[in-house]
Amino acid sequence: MSGVLGLLKGLGVTLGQLPKKKVTLMYPDVQPEWPDRYRGVHKLMPDLCIVCNQCARICPTSCISLSGTRGEDRKLHLETFDINFEICILCDLCTEVCPTEAIQMTDTFELAEYNRDAIYKDMNWLTENGKQHALRKGLSLESTEEAVEQNNQLEGNA
Amino acid sequence: MWNNVLHWVDQPFTSATYLGMLLGGVLTLAITLGAVTYTIYGERKIIGWMQGRVGPNRVGPFGLMQSIADILKLLIKEDIVPAKADKALFMIAPIITYVPAFAVLAVIPYTFHHYFTARLNIGVLYYIALSSISIIGIVLGGWASNNKYAIIGGLRSAAQMISYEIPLALSMLGVVLLSGSLDITRIIEVQQQNGLWNVFPQILGFIVFLIAATAELARAPFDLPEAESELVSGYFTEYSGFRFAFYMLSEYVYLIAMAGLAAALFLGGWTGPFGLGWGWFWYAIKSFLFIFLMFWLRATMPRARVDQLMGFAWKYLIPLAILNLLISAVEKLYWLKG
Amino acid sequence: MATTELRTEEMLLNVGPQHPSTHGVLRLVVKVDGEIIREATLVIGYLHRGTEKLAEDLQYTQIIPYTDRLDYLAAMINNHAIVNAVEQAMDLQVPERAEYLRVIVAELNRIASHLLFLGAYLLDLGAMSPFLYAFQERETITQMFNEISGARLTYNYMRVGGVKWDAPPGWIDKVRAYIPHFREKLKMYHNLVTGNEVFLGRVKGIGAYSQEKALGYGLSGINLRSTGFKWDIRRNKPYSIYDRFDFDIPVGKNGDCYDRYICHMMEMEESLKIVEKAVEQIQDGPVMGKAPKILRVPAGEYYASVEGAKGELGIYIVSDGKDKPYRFKLRRPSFINLQILPELMEGQNVANMIAILGAVDIVLGEVDA
Repeated sequence: MSGVLGLLKGLGVTLGQLPKKKVTLMYPDVQPEWPDRYRGVHKLMPDLCIVCNQCARICPTSCISLSGTRGEDRKLHLETFDINFEICILCDLCTEVCPTEAIQMTDTFELAEYNRDAIYKDMNWLTENGKQHALRKGLSLESTEEAVEQNNQLEGNA
Repeated sequence: MWNNVLHWVDQPFTSATYLGMLLGGVLTLAITLGAVTYTIYGERKIIGWMQGRVGPNRVGPFGLMQSIADILKLLIKEDIVPAKADKALFMIAPIITYVPAFAVLAVIPYTFHHYFTARLNIGVLYYIALSSISIIGIVLGGWASNNKYAIIGGLRSAAQMISYEIPLALSMLGVVLLSGSLDITRIIEVQQQNGLWNVFPQILGFIVFLIAATAELARAPFDLPEAESELVSGYFTEYSGFRFAFYMLSEYVYLIAMAGLAAALFLGGWTGPFGLGWGWFWYAIKSFLFIFLMFWLRATMPRARVDQLMGFAWKYLIPLAILNLLISAVEKLYWLKG
Repeated sequence: MATTELRTEEMLLNVGPQHPSTHGVLRLVVKVDGEIIREATLVIGYLHRGTEKLAEDLQYTQIIPYTDRLDYLAAMINNHAIVNAVEQAMDLQVPERAEYLRVIVAELNRIASHLLFLGAYLLDLGAMSPFLYAFQERETITQMFNEISGARLTYNYMRVGGVKWDAPPGWIDKVRAYIPHFREKLKMYHNLVTGNEVFLGRVKGIGAYSQEKALGYGLSGINLRSTGFKWDIRRNKPYSIYDRFDFDIPVGKNGDCYDRYICHMMEMEESLKIVEKAVEQIQDGPVMGKAPKILRVPAGEYYASVEGAKGELGIYIVSDGKDKPYRFKLRRPSFINLQILPELMEGQNVANMIAILGAVDIVLGEVDA
């Protein structure tokens, strides 16, 4: 008899779920809401980069490659910056070690492409991604220092 | 002339009555196909709602075109017959499964006036006899596939269905005993006269009927033939495209027929509350309750193992059904007359 | 009349790497005689990615994202294992708040992993709904982890000496609100599954083994505790701050599949208790301790283990003083727990094979590394 009661209780549970609110998200009509710290595809602010190579060295899968030249003011300026998203694991160690916060992460997560070459993202794409992200989030587009400050606040860093 | 076409049952056989029979068959087939399509859609939606998600919702408004899209996909697939399979049997097996499931619809009276159904005075016997024939189609399908898993699956499904035919028939016998007739229309009339649906005096029979019907339809928790996560695949492994659609179709038509039978035998058929009209509407609601129960069970229960299935039928259900017969006899003698 | 022997053949059946019930890419080659399994062989390695070899060329902080991907259902616990091992080797102090945050996320992750066991096991047995209910709850936990670490599955949250980020404002309150909500859900799962006769018929008495056999095979975690042997690294060899919490170790009686299921359910309740106490006791403070910029583990051999979701997860580091390990060996509980499977399968019905495999609760990321 207890067996029958167990069965009936189980049936009651499923019936009780009928009127409850459904959790389906109507993607892609409705985009998911990501929290502030979400580790999506990177964005780059080339003006801040001092070409110290820390990001390339810390990357566990060695997917970052960058190069720079020395300008007239005897500082290094960024020339090329590529991330190979076939092997990037979005671990954000590179954003952690960057001394100037030139590289940060956005909430872009859709990376599907039709051919493999398109998955190598270069400096222009990453900068553009940053601009798109700033527009979406209502962040400042002008001053890079302001952008860095806002990002710090989002991430809750000191 | 139109009187002959519609009420062809009581008329001599002329071309007008022949037209009526043809019309009836085509109309019933069309309505059945539509009902099956939307039963499949309803199953996915209702089970989805029970699991906290919306079911199909992309294809067409509210996903209504989903079943049609699925059926269209199955129809345009390549017709593969395995090389070493027995070609003739392979092709006939789905038909043998489908025709009895469709033919039993003739005795399910959804309304008092028989428009396209037959008032057979051996309705219950006709139902039980025909439903046994569809098992042959399953065994043939497994055998003709020339695949050792399909044979094992086919024989297992056949064993399951044959074992549960017996409690099904025995539970119906209680109702027949109470009503004094094998005619389904008469059974409903008796319920109407007594003002008491058969589910109340026959509660034990009803429970046995529900369990046996679930196993007979090969639905959860007895859905071993369809189990994808078990090792042995079912009898329809080698069937693809249109023939697979046929097997699925016969399964759902059988579900609708069983729902109709349950509504007729136990829930009072076309009688509505307070003698209201529109018999087919009340009939549809009662059938829907039965179908909803099938969906509800599928969403909740895990699958029983094959040896537990057989043991359950022979050791528990059949004694219960026989007990029900005894109780019905006592009721008939002392309590319910007519 | 002479009786002729019935000629039977044994059939070789391949439960291939692609199968809905093998919890990943596991291959089981079984020899069946009719319905009885005569011999079962496991073929693993379809998910081998060379973590241990790769680690020889990576600094310790760089190894942390790789450990996420071992038992990917309980990534926080894997992180905890490696940072715990390096901290013990280097004798570093971790601030209080970081320890509490570590315990909270590790126990929440244990709950998430056990929820997935519940859903997947019942899906193998044919019930579709508990899978979706378990994933609904898991989604809440994953959302919380997303807020604290930025990712949903591979968190990369802990660092040697602390954790990466402090909890965002309001996160601890979210955890506090989640606890009674999940207790209700646990009751719902018990109502739905534990009393179900069909379910009990499929798991009671199946796949039982004795305590001696379990100890002989080196099983750990729930597979050992279901036989009645009370062994939990959090209690017997406490690490981090687990000695401050008062929680029970649920054990089973017969070592069958039902006991393993019940142990999973009760462990979820115990983990919830730990989270509740930790949320009460947590204080403000720094989340990163004093750790050198370049981590150099002194030369020598070190072994430290934590109680993973599947058993004892051990890290064995052989270091020669550099910033990269000389040899980085993982004691992976799912790999070791799988060893008993061929013996359990012998003589069983084919129908029980899936039930036994599901109850051992393996994750292929951990089996193959």
